[in-house]
Amino acid sequence: MMSLLEKNRPLRWLGKQLFNREDPAAFFDPLLAQVDPMLVRQYVPAKVIEITDETADTRTFILKPAARWAGFSAGQHVNTCIEIDGTRYNRTFSLSCSPAQWKLHGTVSLTIKRLPGGKVTNWMHDNLQPGAVLGLGEAFGEFQLPANPEPLLYIAGGSGITPILSQLETLASEDWRAPVTLLYFVRTQADVIAAERLYAIQKRWPAFNLQVLATEEGETPQYLNDQHLEQVPGVNARRCYLCGPKGLMDLATDLLHKRGIADERIHCTFFAAATAALATDDLGGVVQFARSDLSVSSEGDAALLDIAEAAKLSPQYGCRMGICHQCSCRKTSGTVVNRVTGKVSGPGEESIQLCVSIPQGPVTLDL
Amino acid sequence: MKKLNEAQLNELQKDLDAIRDEVLADLGERDAKYIRRIVRLHRTLEIGGRAMMPFGFIPPVFVAATVSLGLAKIIENMEIGHNVMHGQYDWMNDPSLHSQTYEWDTVCSSESWRRTHNYEHHTYTNVIGKDRDYGYAVMRLSDDVKWHPAHLLQFINYLMLSVFFQWGVGLHELESERLRRREITWKSKWPFIKSFFRKGGRQAFKDYVFFPLLTLPVAPIVLAGNAGANLMRNLWSSTVIFCGHFTQDAETFTEESCENESKGHWYLRQLTGSSNFTGSNFVHMLSGHLSYQIEHHVFPDLPAHRYREISPKVQAVCEKYGINYNTDSFARQYWTVLKRIGKFSLPDSVRLKLEAQPA
Repeated sequence: MMSLLEKNRPLRWLGKQLFNREDPAAFFDPLLAQVDPMLVRQYVPAKVIEITDETADTRTFILKPAARWAGFSAGQHVNTCIEIDGTRYNRTFSLSCSPAQWKLHGTVSLTIKRLPGGKVTNWMHDNLQPGAVLGLGEAFGEFQLPANPEPLLYIAGGSGITPILSQLETLASEDWRAPVTLLYFVRTQADVIAAERLYAIQKRWPAFNLQVLATEEGETPQYLNDQHLEQVPGVNARRCYLCGPKGLMDLATDLLHKRGIADERIHCTFFAAATAALATDDLGGVVQFARSDLSVSSEGDAALLDIAEAAKLSPQYGCRMGICHQCSCRKTSGTVVNRVTGKVSGPGEESIQLCVSIPQGPVTLDL
Repeated sequence: MKKLNEAQLNELQKDLDAIRDEVLADLGERDAKYIRRIVRLHRTLEIGGRAMMPFGFIPPVFVAATVSLGLAKIIENMEIGHNVMHGQYDWMNDPSLHSQTYEWDTVCSSESWRRTHNYEHHTYTNVIGKDRDYGYAVMRLSDDVKWHPAHLLQFINYLMLSVFFQWGVGLHELESERLRRREITWKSKWPFIKSFFRKGGRQAFKDYVFFPLLTLPVAPIVLAGNAGANLMRNLWSSTVIFCGHFTQDAETFTEESCENESKGHWYLRQLTGSSNFTGSNFVHMLSGHLSYQIEHHVFPDLPAHRYREISPKVQAVCEKYGINYNTDSFARQYWTVLKRIGKFSLPDSVRLKLEAQPA
């Protein structure tokens, strides 16, 4: 019945008039959530069904989203919305299961590693229990499989394996006819995420070649080099997928370029990297105004409102001293320091006051 | 106004900032739970009131339905809408409780309100000529404004403003007095007028067209009940707001006195320009905790239910600097408001003569 308020246009219009909001069905959320948190309309609720350990610091969370969730294709990410101590945090994670799992069982998996100092990942590891409900956005991301079988090369590092797991399971279940190689870099063998699933895929799918490379088990650290690529049969003709820490990705892109592999055949996706809290003297950065399609760099302790105005934008503002919240704006990514409180924000999507927020590194605003 | 030197003002700022920081550091689950409980109460009262209204041909049901809907509107406007739009719950990062997206159940659009109230009123509190909330341009409440014979009738203006408060607030940004003086043009107000009709139309449609028509055989009853609920909210909110700044001891300021003012001076102005009233927790909630107008003006973006808790600390700070902490019972504060409206309706000579007499 509630979905009528969302989809039927006249009813939606009426709902807006009656409840003064763009999402009229969510007017009833506070009461519906009391009955069952899975009835909420404001976001797609997803219930935690099961939590399994992958490594010492990585867990897989199996979620059952409400049936209206639109699904995904292998390699995509989702935004999740988790409430911690009254505040909602939005974080992006890769889906680590195949779309078949969603179609068959109505569940999806997120494989999440603890980020040192990370508020949300650590909270999820320490506090999230089966039965809890969190919010799930629609899947997005261009890290997707080609339509027709062709030889593939995956280079993954650490928890960068998660979107690749989703793709490998999909390929294995389709019995993909072209050769697929995965070079998986981990610190030690104990850090292999989803080891069981990977070895099981290797066993049942002959076209797949798995190479786990432990970087810190030998005398000297072992990093990706051209030898590794050389050993991959027909490497220059393969479509390449990279996911891992920035160092590995840069190195891999460089080596693949040297082999003459074109950019359009190299697919990269970043996984959420921990942005360590910088010293407060490390202020300024490139500010991207997403809606205005404008990007400017700032130095020192200039507030975002001043930066925006210097860039000839005219965001709403009022007191310019952090009181009236006229200038509140959504930050989609990046870290800012609040001039009044001295507090450093999280890296994710949240609302900030432009007049007292100073960028600390690159920041993207919905402005 | 109590005179403090620069050093004292700086210290005052530090003392008040310390109270603020302590609350900010403690914000969390408890505040989220509080506002969500209030939102649930609002939904229950609104849905309950609307559901009962068609059965209003039974007199006690009519009263219950009207009171229920009236309370719903009061709670939504005062404790939820006003406070959410101040950004008190922005830290929760919940789009339903966010200052920039919240749209409240009254004629004034949230956008217009944030301009006239959050910015003008809270920045230039009680500065005559700058804070248009001071008398709402229909009443003379201090001798900073020159007396005019029309002011003799301002008690009628007051009653009309109270009865139609949501429409008055909705039209506030029109700046009719400046239009009359030709300081601004109608053309410049066209975007505002359009948005006024959109939001005002939406509100009128809901309460005076849609719900009555939905239950056509009893339409007059539903219409009367909805009007009653709106009236109830209008009278209560206007009264609460008037008690916040128009009481006898609430001070007014001149534009010169706050040019290039420091944060400390701004704090001092908020402390001396506002007034509280006492009451039960339920009354505080119904007032959106504007019964703690002083705390609200000093810390407009702290969750309002915290004002009650920090009030003793704010009082102690006032005592330290010899600043009058203006509080009293609701009835006594309201009486001084009525007296102020009456007094300043009179020519200065008459008023001064009256004031000279022992009360």
